Amino acid sequence: MSYLTLENIRKVYDGKVAVEGLSLSVPKGVIFGIIGPNGAGKTTTIRMVMNITIPDSGRIMIDGQERPKDFKNSVGYLPEERGLYKKMTVMEIIRYMAALKDFPTKEAEKEGWEWLKTMDLFEYGHHKVEELSKGMQQKLQFITTVLHKPDLIILDELFSGLDPLNIELIKNQLLKLKAQGKTILFSTHVMEQAEKLCDHVCMISKGTKVLDGRMADVKASHGKNSIELVVNGDAGFVSSLPGVAKVVESSNHLELQLDEGADSNAILKQLADRVPVRRYAFVEPSLYTIFIDKAKIAPSELTADAGEGSDA
Amino acid sequence: MRKFWTVLKREYAQVVKKKSFIVGIFLTPLLMGAFVVLPALLARMKSSDTEMLAVIDQSGYEIGKEFAKSLETYKLDDDSTAYYSVSEIFELAVDDSAAFASVSDSMRKMVSEKDLKYVLVLRPDPHLIDSNLYLITNSDNFRSINRFEYQVSHILSSMRLEQSDVNLSVDSVLDLTRNMSLATQDAKGESIPFMIKYFSAMVFVGIMFGMILGYGQLVMRSVIEEKNSRIMEVLISSVSPFQLMCGKIFGLGAATFTQILIWFLIGGLLFSFRGILGIDPGIERILFDPLIVTAFVLFMVSGYLLFSTVFALIGSIVSSDKESQSFVAPITISMILPFMLGISVVQEPNSMMATVISLFPFTAPTMMMMRVVFVAPTLTEYSLFSGIVGEALLSFLIVVLSVLGMIWVTSKIFRIGILMHGKRATLKEIVRWIKY
Repeated sequence: MSYLTLENIRKVYDGKVAVEGLSLSVPKGVIFGIIGPNGAGKTTTIRMVMNITIPDSGRIMIDGQERPKDFKNSVGYLPEERGLYKKMTVMEIIRYMAALKDFPTKEAEKEGWEWLKTMDLFEYGHHKVEELSKGMQQKLQFITTVLHKPDLIILDELFSGLDPLNIELIKNQLLKLKAQGKTILFSTHVMEQAEKLCDHVCMISKGTKVLDGRMADVKASHGKNSIELVVNGDAGFVSSLPGVAKVVESSNHLELQLDEGADSNAILKQLADRVPVRRYAFVEPSLYTIFIDKAKIAPSELTADAGEGSDA
Repeated sequence: MRKFWTVLKREYAQVVKKKSFIVGIFLTPLLMGAFVVLPALLARMKSSDTEMLAVIDQSGYEIGKEFAKSLETYKLDDDSTAYYSVSEIFELAVDDSAAFASVSDSMRKMVSEKDLKYVLVLRPDPHLIDSNLYLITNSDNFRSINRFEYQVSHILSSMRLEQSDVNLSVDSVLDLTRNMSLATQDAKGESIPFMIKYFSAMVFVGIMFGMILGYGQLVMRSVIEEKNSRIMEVLISSVSPFQLMCGKIFGLGAATFTQILIWFLIGGLLFSFRGILGIDPGIERILFDPLIVTAFVLFMVSGYLLFSTVFALIGSIVSSDKESQSFVAPITISMILPFMLGISVVQEPNSMMATVISLFPFTAPTMMMMRVVFVAPTLTEYSLFSGIVGEALLSFLIVVLSVLGMIWVTSKIFRIGILMHGKRATLKEIVRWIKY
């Protein structure tokens, strides 16, 4: 049963197509990732779900209804562009944001302190936001997004700007929320993050959907003949070896896709003759590889984005 | 509706909790009072020093001596010390221009070195040629100058009479031709001194101007802050842009009226001591004139709504305080127009120009207020459909309609403008948003 449904959505800005014929079906109680490079249409899609921008055509249904009445109160939204009032204290922010969701103030305070404890911010409850570090502010933003117990949580580029420790902390909380039956929709351009977190994934490129489905199905449909290769030295010759269909460079390894029926042992032998091989293993294809394969785009278009994401 | 209140309460608290709000409540009336009261006090203060003067008399009729004698009637506060002291009278021959040049040079020097305050110069035939009579002084003390004018006129009139063939005694002619001063009464048979009306108008219009501009700009800053801190998109996932906009306008409006209410309470308190403070009864008539009070409330509220909506609009299309300045200037000018046209409105509050300006929405609140303060206390009867009351109602209606129109336009632009970062929206884009 689909909880959030997008039907044939189209959005054009100034004659430029941002999203074209996009249909999505997000089941209840899953973590759903929208992935794609910057400018693919992720934020536009999310803003249309949030009713911030209106699609030119198509329908968006939540729980079977187009624009449910109390939608704003039952959704938690963390936009890519996010900030806080610098002069307010942490608790004031929590109370205010909860009040804007019609969440009772007393309960907001109780829940707020709990969340502050969970996120290691307990002793900052009465500090002004401007006294908090950037990482702390981001954790506070996350708290205000989920505090009012929304059924649907939408996170646009959640991890951009977070340090690895906080990424881990928030990931764990997202898994807890999923266990409570919440539906979580998030977007990212960093494939590795989506890969570890998502149950479902939708890949979009240049405004159109490339592929979507359950993570396991997506991977299974791409076969098992992927090999993760790590060598010492220059591996530029690999793509010219017989039986190697494709080489995708990842940050710290190469991913080889072999021709149907190719002899992997023979390939390993040839490799070993020329460079020291550190690792040669059959793996599931990564989202990154699948994306490049499916979207038919040059890896450079993605790596540029991935680079941007990893330093953010 | 509840979210509107939530936004309103936050905006209100953000302003009222600040120290600057408390400081502003007490400092502003003090400064304003200083502006109004100090000059009045200074003008009322009597001189405690005898003023020194000299006379250069080239008339040949000993006018200087008589003038000096006439000044003996003026005394300082203690009623015994002379107000003026004539240090010297230079009686020069009518044709001695060399002597005149040197004496007048040295006298000018003494005036500029402040050894003398005035030098009365009488050239030949001052009773025939007006310009042969003048005063050298660096002071603008109009009271002394008026006295000199009066005394010299008196002396010259006597001279002319003696030289003419009128067959009456000099004194009786002067008595017959004495000047009279015209006391004014308004239609109610009372009179409010002009200065009282003028200052009251300035206070009413000044409060409107200061509060609307001050708090209106806070609305704008609040929008800009939310854009720049990137909290805007989070906010509008919880409240509609319209609720947010109205919450801001009314929240800061509530702060404005809190401040004005406190001022009125302080004013009322001061007023109960009017006997001790020596407040002119004319002020009472203006402050408690039902028409003036009603006009102030109506135009303050509608004017605030109109301008703060415009400020919300500006806030939504600019990306920094600096960028907003070019929009703020014309607004300031439209509000300050009654001050700029000041004297001409004061003299003719019902002129064509004043009427037209008080019907144009952006100048209406302040201009109409100014006119009402001038005209209302003199009214003997009110008609809702004509005269100043009718015009005030029409003007109010125009402002209210403009507020509604402005809110409609702004809500269209606001919801898109608030999500734009980094660049100012172009006119073309804005027009498209309105149509959208």
